[in-house]
Amino acid sequence: MFDATNFQPLLVRRYTLEVRQQMSWYWQAIVIALALVFGLLISAAILVTAGVPAGELLNEFVILTLFDSQSLRAVLFQAAPLIMVGLAGCLAFRARFWNLGLEGQMIWGAIGATAISLFEIGPPSLRLPLMMLSALICGLLWALTPVLLKLHLKVNEIISTLMLNYIALNFLLHLVYGSWKDPRDSFPYSPQYRTFERLPEVFDGLSLAVVLALLTALFVLWFTGVSRASLYLRFVDNGLGVARAVGVPVNRVVLGTVLLSGALAGVAGFMVTAGQEGRLTQSFYVGYGFSGILIAFLARNQPIAATVVALLVATLFVAGRSLQVFYQIPFSMVQLIQAILVICVASSEFFIHHRIRRIQGGQS
Amino acid sequence: MTMLISWVGNIPDFAVPFALAALGLILIERTGVLALGAEGLMLVGALSGIGASLMTGGSTVWALIIAMIAAAVVSQLFALMVLVMRINQVISGLALVFFCQGLTGLLGTLMNWTNKPVQGLQAQPLWPLSELPLVGKLFVQNPVVYLTPVIFLLAVLVLNRTVLGLRVRAVGENPQAADAAGISVLAYRCAAIAAGSALIGLAGAYISVLSTKMWVADMIGGRGWIAVALVIFARWAPWKALAGALLFGCIEALIPQMAASGIRLPQYFVFMTPYAVTLGVMIWVAIVSRDNNSQPGALGEPFIREERR
Repeated sequence: MFDATNFQPLLVRRYTLEVRQQMSWYWQAIVIALALVFGLLISAAILVTAGVPAGELLNEFVILTLFDSQSLRAVLFQAAPLIMVGLAGCLAFRARFWNLGLEGQMIWGAIGATAISLFEIGPPSLRLPLMMLSALICGLLWALTPVLLKLHLKVNEIISTLMLNYIALNFLLHLVYGSWKDPRDSFPYSPQYRTFERLPEVFDGLSLAVVLALLTALFVLWFTGVSRASLYLRFVDNGLGVARAVGVPVNRVVLGTVLLSGALAGVAGFMVTAGQEGRLTQSFYVGYGFSGILIAFLARNQPIAATVVALLVATLFVAGRSLQVFYQIPFSMVQLIQAILVICVASSEFFIHHRIRRIQGGQS
Repeated sequence: MTMLISWVGNIPDFAVPFALAALGLILIERTGVLALGAEGLMLVGALSGIGASLMTGGSTVWALIIAMIAAAVVSQLFALMVLVMRINQVISGLALVFFCQGLTGLLGTLMNWTNKPVQGLQAQPLWPLSELPLVGKLFVQNPVVYLTPVIFLLAVLVLNRTVLGLRVRAVGENPQAADAAGISVLAYRCAAIAAGSALIGLAGAYISVLSTKMWVADMIGGRGWIAVALVIFARWAPWKALAGALLFGCIEALIPQMAASGIRLPQYFVFMTPYAVTLGVMIWVAIVSRDNNSQPGALGEPFIREERR
């Protein structure tokens, strides 16, 4: 019985809620798609209220971003770091670890990459791989503390990763307002990367970042689907007690997976600075942390699905930036739309798992 | 000495938002709902407080009341998610925070409320304590500071000494038993979310309307998450939460104090301290109270009647 009868007797009495045994996958897909459409309609309504003409909205989101080759390239370019943070989210959630520290790990990744550039470590031909390696290690190390605290002391990782975000953010500000400030002007960002320190285009305007992101998606697909770790992760996901009982090295598996998650987030930070910004700026990471969580959640921790969702979120990012420029709609609008989509899709689960049925004659 | 006095005098101003938010969270979590949305609800309170103050021409009391109502209203979205839709409480809490961040950022810009100064409340001397020599200055605070211990006292009395409080705790410890005893689990949880969120909204409005006296996007800056950590630190006990809030008030009050006295420390490292201390406190709690588990029994678990255990 649905317990809402307790406080809304008149409205609900004639309906009952039953737990569904199973729903066929295409119905599930339809329900989720409907939820997405519903969420987008709400978002569109908010945007129209905020002063964006409805016709422009359609133009911005659908035609410009998907049918114009230049915009499509911008979306792909934007998608690369989002795919990385999305995959990082997938990995951490597979290990039942709420990694809300994606932004902190991104920041450290970008700091690590910038350090290589700033101190001119390595020959120019090796500079880019070195920067990426440095970003990877820095992101990984920033994820080490919370996962060790969780495994050994059961410290809530939601709080610890978030606090580490704020610490990383303040360290970034310390650098860009302090010793790493570009000496040529007084803006809070690092000196520009040299050309060989930027992610190049490989073929037909496609950035190397996109290729790297797709390769990473394949690696994560292998890691979570084929490797020995994937089997262990499935045990961990189903409950630590059983996992330990059948001899899964739980701590090692969780530690490794979360560190990998941090490493991917670190590389995402490198992709934003070496791909889009070309330098370390004070707010390059904004929005990526939540997007990573959103992408992993919507993709149900599946790497391929995460790649697709990341492309959609990238569209939102690109469109959001142009709305910011043309209509002064703040970038937080992107966050709002993402939150609405999460709420809608999460709510749709309710209709997948339950069925509302009417009872004749009101016997409750 | 004057430095010490002015530091101690500033502590309540920084401690009150932590205290109120932590109390609101305790109220919600005592009914078994894991409330991670404090950061977002504080933002809602902060923005609506400023908005109300600017639109009503500077009535601070109305601003605080409207902030409480606004946070309670927005919290019903969270209630809908966790109570009716039975969405995972962690996801719901995170979604609420990001929803509120986006919403307040958008509204603050669209309504043009950013960086507009408001009046705030006049500090009231607490006679006769304010007449004391030397320490008298400590007892000139705004009325909400005096109100906070009263709110705590009321909350503790209700929670520990009344049937209502017993039911609230029963719902959080063992919802199945409470349900069997005829207590509507959903109604209690829903009401607790509204009431607790009102307190969290007040905490947010305190920061914007009474402390900084203006709105800036994302101005809560993690204080909501620190409040969540405070609740864990306090093991869901209001008085301990108040003590923890005072501790964090001491640290936050120290930051402007050091700047004023000319101590040159790297500014951004100083800004890190509240977060680093939070992390330290979490670790300390984990080491000290490993076996003392006073967390509400049903925290984080949705209540579904047909799935009795």
